[in-house]
Amino acid sequence: MKNGFMKTTALALALSVSATGAALADKANDTLRVAYTKELENVDSYFNSSREGVVLQRAVWDGLIYRDPETNEYKGNLATSWEWIDDKTLELKLREGVKFHNGDDFDADDVVATVNFVANEENGVKTQRNVNWMESAEKIDNFTVRIKTKDVFPAAIEFLSGPVSMYPADYYAEVGPSGMGLNPVGTGPYKVVEVVPGQHFVLERYEGYHDSPKGRPSISKIDIRTIPDVNTQIAELFSGSLDLIWQVPADQAEKLAEMGDQFTVSNESTMRVGYLSMDAAGRSSMDPNPFQDLKVRQAVNHAINREALVDNLLKGKSKVVWTACFPSQFGCEQDVAEYPYDPEKAKQLLAEAGYPDGFTTEFYAYRDRDYAEAIASYLNAVGINIDFKMLQYSALRELNMKGEVPISFQTWGSYSINDASAMVSQFFKHGSLDTTRDDQVLEWLNVADSSNDPDKRVEYYAKALQRIAEQAYWAPMFSYNTNYVMSKEVEYTPTADEVLRFTNMSWN
Amino acid sequence: MALQRIADPLLEEITGPNPRQILRKRVTGHAGLLFGVGVVLVLLIIAILAPVLAPHDPYAQNLANRMVKPVFMGGTWEHPLGTDHLGRDYLSRLIYGARVSLLIGTVAALISGVIGTAMGVAAGYFGGKVDAVVTFLINVRLAMPVVLVALAVVAILGGSLQVVIGVLGLLLWDRFAVVMRASTLQVRRREYVAAAQAIGASTPRVILSEIMPNIANNLIVIVTLEMAHAILLEAALSFLGLGVQPPTPSWGLMVSEGKNMMLFEPWLVLIPGIVLFILVLAINLMGDGLRDVTAPENRS
Repeated sequence: MKNGFMKTTALALALSVSATGAALADKANDTLRVAYTKELENVDSYFNSSREGVVLQRAVWDGLIYRDPETNEYKGNLATSWEWIDDKTLELKLREGVKFHNGDDFDADDVVATVNFVANEENGVKTQRNVNWMESAEKIDNFTVRIKTKDVFPAAIEFLSGPVSMYPADYYAEVGPSGMGLNPVGTGPYKVVEVVPGQHFVLERYEGYHDSPKGRPSISKIDIRTIPDVNTQIAELFSGSLDLIWQVPADQAEKLAEMGDQFTVSNESTMRVGYLSMDAAGRSSMDPNPFQDLKVRQAVNHAINREALVDNLLKGKSKVVWTACFPSQFGCEQDVAEYPYDPEKAKQLLAEAGYPDGFTTEFYAYRDRDYAEAIASYLNAVGINIDFKMLQYSALRELNMKGEVPISFQTWGSYSINDASAMVSQFFKHGSLDTTRDDQVLEWLNVADSSNDPDKRVEYYAKALQRIAEQAYWAPMFSYNTNYVMSKEVEYTPTADEVLRFTNMSWN
Repeated sequence: MALQRIADPLLEEITGPNPRQILRKRVTGHAGLLFGVGVVLVLLIIAILAPVLAPHDPYAQNLANRMVKPVFMGGTWEHPLGTDHLGRDYLSRLIYGARVSLLIGTVAALISGVIGTAMGVAAGYFGGKVDAVVTFLINVRLAMPVVLVALAVVAILGGSLQVVIGVLGLLLWDRFAVVMRASTLQVRRREYVAAAQAIGASTPRVILSEIMPNIANNLIVIVTLEMAHAILLEAALSFLGLGVQPPTPSWGLMVSEGKNMMLFEPWLVLIPGIVLFILVLAINLMGDGLRDVTAPENRS
C-alpha cells in the first residue's frame, strides 16, 4: 500500500518535472516565493524557537542594535547610541521618527513595555535564555531608556542585536502573543499582510522603513509557504513555482548544482555544532554507567571519524569541531585536546576501562537520522552496541532534563549568538541539561560569564573549554552548513548565521 | 481396504486417480499457486542462508563509497545493487531484510492466528454468551484502526523487532476470529460432529479432531492474508521510523532511507519497493491458490 503510493508520487513528480521544464520565476509580479520546511508554532518571535521563526523575526521586527553579518560590527538600529552607566545598567538613546507598521510612533514606552513583558518569566517566553538576563527597563525621557541586567552580562549587546526585538506597546497590550501571531506588527523592513497558519505567510515591503543598517528592501512581496518534504520543494523549484529553497540536504544540493545553468547553489556554514553528549555525571539508570569513566568517553571520541563525516555526509563549509562551542564565537578557544580517529585505540581504552567486549547502551537522536546512523555505526564498530532511539526534539529534551539519557547525538545553533557563552554556558553550568556537573568548569564559567573584561573572559572560557575537552565530557564533531538553492533570477549572498535576509535579496 | 484396491487392477481402473493424484494435478495446473509458493520458498531459503549468500557485511559502512549505482545503471559487480546513503552494500541489506520481513510476517500471523482461532472456534462451537462476548470483542477490535493503534503503541514503547511483532500479533486476530467463527457455525451441526458427541467424545476432542480438520482450509487462507498484511504493516511502521530500528536492515526502512533522494536516485526506493511488492504478491497468490485447490466446490 505504502509502496504503491510512493511509486505513484515518484512518477507524478517525474512527470511534473519533465512537463514544465524551464523555470519561470515570479519576477514579473515582484513576488519572491520561498519554502519553509517546518510550520511555526507562533509568528510572535518570542513564542517560537525555530530557525524559520528567527528569519521572520529579522524581517518583521527590529532590535535596538544590529550586528553587521559581514564585519561583526555593532551598529545602531532602533537605538542610535548606547553606553554602560554602571556594571548592570545600559543606557540607550533611541532613534526618532520611527513608525510601526500600524502607524504607531516608536518611543521609549515601547521599549520599556517590551522589555518588562518578556523579562517577566511568568509571561512564558519560549527561550528564557534570550531574555532572562534583563531585570527591567526604565524610561528616562521619550527617547532615552535604561535596561538593567540581573547580573553583570557582557553579552547584552549581542543579545539586543539578536533575539530581543521591539514591539508596539499599546497594540501588544491589547492583543497579546496570540493576536501578535495572527496579525504581527513591527518596525521591520517587511510587514506581514497575510498569515494562514500551516499554509503561508505573505510579507510586503514596508515603504516607511527607517534608515536602518539592515538596508532598504528591494523585492516588494515575499510569499512563504510551508512545504515539509524536500523532494516536493525541489519539484516545485523545477516547475518554477518556488524561487528559493534553503536547508537543502547536501546530496540533493550537489545534484542541483550539477544541473548547472538552471539554479544557483550557495553553501554557507552555520553556527550549529553537532556533538555527542554523554552521561558523565551518572544520572541515568545505567548500572554500571560506563560513561562515568574517562577512558570510555575518550574511546567514544576516538571511535568517530569526524573527517569522513564532514567530507562525505555534511560536505560544503562544514568543519571538524573539537570544542564545546562554534569556533567563530567570542571566547571559543581552539587550542584544546583532540581525539583523532583511531578505532584500535578506542577498543584498547574500552578494554582498560574494563569493557574488553564492549557494552550495550541506548543511543538517542532527534534529527539528521543519517548522521546519527553513521555515528552509531562507528560506535558499533569498536564494541559499543547501540540501541538506536530516534525521538522528537521536545521528547528527547525532556528525557535529557530528567537525566535519563546515557548518550545522545545533539546539536546546538546558539541562536546565532556570536559568543561562547551561548553554548558552553548553556550546557555546563549545572542546569537540567548539564550531563557532566563539573564544579571546576562551573566556577570558571561563572567568572567568564560575569566579567566585563574581554581578556579575562577569553582566559576563563579557555580554561573551561580545555578541561571539557581533556575530560572528554562531550564528543564535539562538526559544524553544520546550509545550502541555499535559488533560481537564476534571484540575487542573494547568504550569510554565515543561517538567517535568510529578504532585505538583501533582489532580482537579477 | 486400501491394500485390496491396489491389489485389484480392475477396481483401480473404475475408481480413476486417487485423491492425492487429483490434488497434485490441481496444484501443478495452478500457475498462481506455483508462482507464489516458488517465490516464498526462494525468499525463505535466501533468508535462512543470508550469511552465506550476502556478498558483504550488511552493517559495514563506508562513507567514502555512498550511493554507488547498481550494476544495471552503470555500477560495478562489487556492489551489484549499489550502496545506500552510508555506503553499505544494498544487496546484502536486501538479503538480510528478507529475514526481518519473513520473521515478522510468520510470527505475527502465528500469534494472531492462535488468538483469533481460539476465540472464533469457541464462539462458533459454544454459541450463547461465549458467542456474544467474542462478537463484542471482535466489534471492539474492528472499531480500532490497526495502523493508528500500532503507531500509538510503538510510539509509547519505542520501536524494536519484538515490539513490532507483539503489536501486530495482538492486533491482526480479527479476521481469524470472524472467519473461524463462521466456519465453525457451519460444521458444528453436521452429523459427524453429532456422532462424535453421541459416542461421548470430550469437547476438546470434538473440536480438535472433528471441527478443526474441516475448517483448516479457511485457516490457511487467512494465515497467508495476515502474513502479507503484517509484512506490509511492518514496512509502513519502519518507513515512518517507528518499526525496526537502524541499523537492522528492513525493507520498509530502506524505502524510508532512500526517500530523500527519490528525485535523483529513484532506485534506492524502487529496489526494496519492488522486492516487497513481489513478496506480498507471492504470499497472496499462494493463499489464493491454496483456497482454490482445497475448496470443496473444486474437488470434483
